[in-house]
Amino acid sequence: MTSTETRADRFVRELADLRIADPAAGRPALWLRLGAAGMAAGVVLGFAAYLLAHGTTDPLAQRDALALGLAGVSTAVAGSALFLRYSLTGFLRFWMARQSHDLSVLADRLLEKEKLQ
Amino acid sequence: MSALLELRGVRASYGGITALHGVDLRVAAGQVVALLGPNGAGKTTTLKVAAGVHPADSGRLLLGGRDATGADSRDLARAGVCLIPEGRGVFPNLTVRENLLMMTFTGRGRAEVEEIAFTRFPVLARRAGQAAGTMSGGEQQMLALARGLATDPAVLLLDELSMGLAPLVVAELYEQVAEIARQGVAVLVVEQFAAAVLDIADHAAVLVRGRVERRGDPDAELRAELSDLYLGSAR
Repeated sequence: MTSTETRADRFVRELADLRIADPAAGRPALWLRLGAAGMAAGVVLGFAAYLLAHGTTDPLAQRDALALGLAGVSTAVAGSALFLRYSLTGFLRFWMARQSHDLSVLADRLLEKEKLQ
Repeated sequence: MSALLELRGVRASYGGITALHGVDLRVAAGQVVALLGPNGAGKTTTLKVAAGVHPADSGRLLLGGRDATGADSRDLARAGVCLIPEGRGVFPNLTVRENLLMMTFTGRGRAEVEEIAFTRFPVLARRAGQAAGTMSGGEQQMLALARGLATDPAVLLLDELSMGLAPLVVAELYEQVAEIARQGVAVLVVEQFAAAVLDIADHAAVLVRGRVERRGDPDAELRAELSDLYLGSAR
């Protein structure tokens, strides 16, 4: 930073260095839907694996069904993680804002009470 | 004069409801621009888009001439975009000193932050140990402004500074805002009560139902038109 640089000059310079991510890259709604789909797919895969294993006496086919069941569990776990990540952050932000508002209201009430006494 | 903050054709929505229908605004360094309009006109949304807090559906946000559309609000805050939201914007259960201490995240030391705050608002020095929520509304707004100044802003976005305050206190606060602008900060002020801000504004824009219906110098003509614009009978 030079000594003659104004705040506006510094702002322009710092913004020029700022890396701006593609706004479409985040896509939280897409990840949320993908997570929900993963959870549902996990359950479907598990149920399909159960039917497959019980529909045959061939041990090779039953092993395939086992593998399918495990894949279902993995899909459901990954889906749940994605869903929680993208649903809880939104909820927690709202919760924090709510806490802040409640505290502010409480302070106002206490002040009012103090004034009345 | 080149603009530090510029919105070009910004459209923004909440779910299926469109709040802004192509808003154009520019604020240069050292300039105070007043964004006026009735309740629900989209003023706060405009500020949120400018601060990167709310995404624009289309249009561009330019900061210092650079396209910053879609930039993370935290990055913009670090660079010098400061949004002081509607309401008091302070932590009511923390003392004034603790509220200011939280602004040391910008890298400034505690003493420096307090010097900035207490020099501009001496009343805060006298209330340093007092819980922010127990101060008057005007003092809380001073604290909110002081917290904003501690971030060394280049662009200051103020939302309804006058809300719930006595006219004399509002005038005092806006005098401070004018002083901040004189130091080269670009200030965009959102106000529902025009009289409070037009005295210090260099330029004004009136937003009605998400569109800028009128813009120009804050002269008598604009003041006279305001009630018509607010009530929707000007068109």
